[in-house]
Amino acid sequence: MQDFVDAIRFIGDNAALLWSLTLDHLALSGAALGIALLAAIPLGVVLGHAHRGSFAAINVSNVGRALPSLALISIGVAVLGIGFVNVMVALVVLAFPIVLTNAYVAVDGVDPDAVEAARGMGMTPREVLWKVELPLALPLIFAGIRTAVVYVIATATLASVAGAHSLGDVIVDQATYRLPGVLGAAICVAVLALLAELLFAALQRAVTPRALRLEERGAPPMLGDLATNERTT
Amino acid sequence: MIAAAEPVIPDFGRGSSCVRENGTFCWEWVRDHWGDTLRPALVQHLLLTLIAVAIGFALAFALALAAHRRGRLTTPVVLVTGLLYTIPSLALFQLLVPFTGLSRTTAEVALVSYTLLILFRNTLAGLAGVPEEVRDAARGMGLTRRQLLWSVELPLALPAIVAGLRIATVTVISLATVAVFVVNEGLGAPIYAGLQQTFKTELIAAGALCVALALAADALLVLVQRALTPWTRVARSR
Amino acid sequence: MNSENTAQTEGSHGYPRAATLELRHVRKLYAGAARPAIEDLSLTVPAGEICVLVGPSGCGKTTAMRLVNRMIELTDGEILLDGASVLERRPAELRREIGYVIQQIGLFPHQTIADNVATVPRLLGWDKGRVAARVRELLELVQLPPELAERYPAQLSGGQRQRVGVARALAADPPLLLMDEPFGAIDPIARHRLQDELLQLQARVRKTIVFVTHDIDEAIKLGDHIAILREGGVLAQYAPPDELLAAPADEFVASFVGRDRALKRLALSRVGDLTLLPANGAAHGATIDPDTSLRDALSLLIADGDRPLAVRDGDGRVAGLVSLELIRAALHPDPAR
Repeated sequence: MQDFVDAIRFIGDNAALLWSLTLDHLALSGAALGIALLAAIPLGVVLGHAHRGSFAAINVSNVGRALPSLALISIGVAVLGIGFVNVMVALVVLAFPIVLTNAYVAVDGVDPDAVEAARGMGMTPREVLWKVELPLALPLIFAGIRTAVVYVIATATLASVAGAHSLGDVIVDQATYRLPGVLGAAICVAVLALLAELLFAALQRAVTPRALRLEERGAPPMLGDLATNERTT
Repeated sequence: MIAAAEPVIPDFGRGSSCVRENGTFCWEWVRDHWGDTLRPALVQHLLLTLIAVAIGFALAFALALAAHRRGRLTTPVVLVTGLLYTIPSLALFQLLVPFTGLSRTTAEVALVSYTLLILFRNTLAGLAGVPEEVRDAARGMGLTRRQLLWSVELPLALPAIVAGLRIATVTVISLATVAVFVVNEGLGAPIYAGLQQTFKTELIAAGALCVALALAADALLVLVQRALTPWTRVARSR
Repeated sequence: MNSENTAQTEGSHGYPRAATLELRHVRKLYAGAARPAIEDLSLTVPAGEICVLVGPSGCGKTTAMRLVNRMIELTDGEILLDGASVLERRPAELRREIGYVIQQIGLFPHQTIADNVATVPRLLGWDKGRVAARVRELLELVQLPPELAERYPAQLSGGQRQRVGVARALAADPPLLLMDEPFGAIDPIARHRLQDELLQLQARVRKTIVFVTHDIDEAIKLGDHIAILREGGVLAQYAPPDELLAAPADEFVASFVGRDRALKRLALSRVGDLTLLPANGAAHGATIDPDTSLRDALSLLIADGDRPLAVRDGDGRVAGLVSLELIRAALHPDPAR
């Protein structure tokens, strides 16, 4: 218990350092997520709308899920060397499958009757996508984003072994910061991840149309998406 | 608890040219160090995984059965297991150290925590997914509650349960690499050693082994599920 | 496979093949509800008969049926199976002696047809040989090819699954069968066929059956006794079909059975059962079979015009004539006789 008290004290004494590392952590995560989302969401939406590429879209997630992040970072370091960009690339590779699969499943799985009715009313395919499919798919897309966000933040903790900066810097360096430091940084990172999860859970609920939300009344929060809510760090 | 790894580089005079120049991947090194570095790490990794998944499943299964009976348990269990799941592994491992020290126990406790949410959720969802009319017919025919659970609900929940096991197993295989920060076991050890010395071959070899292990476990569990649920594969043949 | 063997198959507890079912002042009130689902229902179903519970949605007919096998528990009153209260046994044990067929069937998707049918016999501890023989027997009884036994429910058509559901319910030779709108989800043509087959089956096995439906025509076709319920499980009338049609108890029953109840009554009788008018070479219209229903004969007579119809006998000769007047008289038997 004393260790935790010391850890809290460490946080207080080293707030500036921890804050700076937190910003690094968020920068790394944000950059990787930005790229992953920009690449995966449009691709997943387009494929889902066209109902094409289901085998690939679903299996890329299966394979992606099996890639242990530390292993991937290590292979990345071997091939590309250390540094911010290389770690970020690894993070993008790890986040991409989750977002892609969720976006695909979300749009592909929109109630076909609703789509049929929309087409029957005279909407062009583009109008169907923007006015019907996307609004209905948004909750599940967001579930994927949420999973990816927490996942990237968690994996970014490991970035320090590959030459990028994050709160992990302190956690892996017990020699310098000793146990209270390590614990202090660990607490910070845990809080960071939890805050991210709560934030995006709230966002996900916010974009869920009231009607769909009522159906899910039975499901407790923090469930995300069954198929792809997994992580490897 | 030190992995049986000897200094890798530089093996002046004795290493091959590939190793000395830190080429991207040197087969000879892998061959030479399979027995003393890679295989022990693989075996340790496998053990870490199996123990964690077994314990995690036992716990999650019991919780799911309880929540299946008493629905109100679901939310608190999901909240707690979800909380544990969200904490980044590196952090969780370290947070446990004051309690269980730098030991395999710490690693196992953390790894078990990561399996709980997905195993609990999938088992519960599997049980809830049994069609209501099947349950009604079973009760109406005179199955007791226990018979209903074991001969009807659980078999029908198997696909979801095994799906959860697949995810949990692959998750643990991945997370077990991070365990190196609290105990020098598993494939995380050669990975970390390779990272410290930027020795590419060791990094790639250990990393690739880890990926291969995860893919193999996933495929194996798919086969297990197919074997256990023959009825899911048949289609209307009339 | 001999129908005699089926009829004499030993009941699992020394029960007779069919039991009497009695409901006495049965009452069901759900907690927090303003009015009882069933207020005060009393009726008796004689052994070996089909009693149909029929009525508008929400009248409590399914509730009443589910009270019998304790899927829902009684608030008050008694339900007696061959004189013994259903409360005396544990629910699971009671249900193993009552066949249960529901609309969506509820076959176990993860078991073969044979395993599905064998469920209750196995629960009762029958030995393997006996179970296997019984499964074969039942598949034949419901007219399913034996090779279906090793298939899974997903491989069968809807109609086939429905039959398996009935076979499964009969497996342990229960003295009572409960059927809740079993043919409701089936298309009309298949439904007629299944209804006919149920009647044929009943002729062989003679079970006591409680059959729930919302379809008055089905009730009239299948029931030996029909119980018409109104909201609150109130028994409006309990009578055999012909009596129900001839003398509805009140306006509710009359409108439920329909304004065309006279025609429905005619559908229950055959031309061959009447005392026909002598032919004597008189002019007549079409010639019909003695199995033709009075209703169909009436239809032909109206379409034709003046001339009576000729009824042929077993050898193809004209046995007698049927006129409009004769049919009308059939509806109103001479009280002096």
